[in-house]
Amino acid sequence: MNPDLDLTLDRIIRAPRSVVWDAWTDPTSLASWWLPEPLQCRVERLDTIPGGAFVTSMSEDGIKFAPHVDACFLMVDVGERIVFTNAVDSQWRPATPEPVTMTAEIVMRDHPDGTEFRAIVRHRDPAARTLHEQLGFFDGWGTVTDQLARFVER
Amino acid sequence: MAQYSARLDEVFGALSDPTRRLVIGELGRGPATVGDLARSSTMTLPSFMKHIRMLESSGLIHTAKRGRVRTCSLNRERLAVVDGWLAEQRTIWESRTDRLERFVTTPKESSS
Repeated sequence: MNPDLDLTLDRIIRAPRSVVWDAWTDPTSLASWWLPEPLQCRVERLDTIPGGAFVTSMSEDGIKFAPHVDACFLMVDVGERIVFTNAVDSQWRPATPEPVTMTAEIVMRDHPDGTEFRAIVRHRDPAARTLHEQLGFFDGWGTVTDQLARFVER
Repeated sequence: MAQYSARLDEVFGALSDPTRRLVIGELGRGPATVGDLARSSTMTLPSFMKHIRMLESSGLIHTAKRGRVRTCSLNRERLAVVDGWLAEQRTIWESRTDRLERFVTTPKESSS
């Protein structure tokens, strides 16, 4: 883990591990939560085997669909772990996806209250971060964001 | 990279106007129709719609039309762009996991 580049997210989800696993690996289920409403998601490929394709597209009107994710699975331990990256696309071609290149590792374990869910997302290089720095984000924008969050959530 | 930079331009451009910031603030309390949002402004509906369109093209809000009513909702994932690159990724994954959680803990319509 590199705290400047990577993020970890831990969550206890109050549902059995098999249900969470199915929500991730069944195309119809995945399509219903992968994108925020009112965007619509279409799961084009979901071959949950190592090297398998992971392709989704998105639409605002349900008619015109634009590419969303074009990635491939690196590792799949059934019921426990999914690892995918967009650094290599679904055709195994090296890719430079916008805006970020990442490898996401999703781990699910049994928990007394349901499922212990962890996502570890590793990013490649801080090109986008450097852009933020050039724009002076780290000097003043933190404050702006706090104000904005208060404004939005009041 | 160019695409990311253009996105930042759009978001900050959209936030640079008081009417549009007001709309963002309203939508922070939940989705609202264009009609309701326009009522809190003194401008004409066509002028107000220009602001809505700009917010929409920046990705800060989503709109969906049902019948004659257009409803707007805030896209918190896009709002996170102002907080920096890694924070934006975190917000995307947090919201994604929220939706997964809601999906697996909400009873299916057939069983309710």
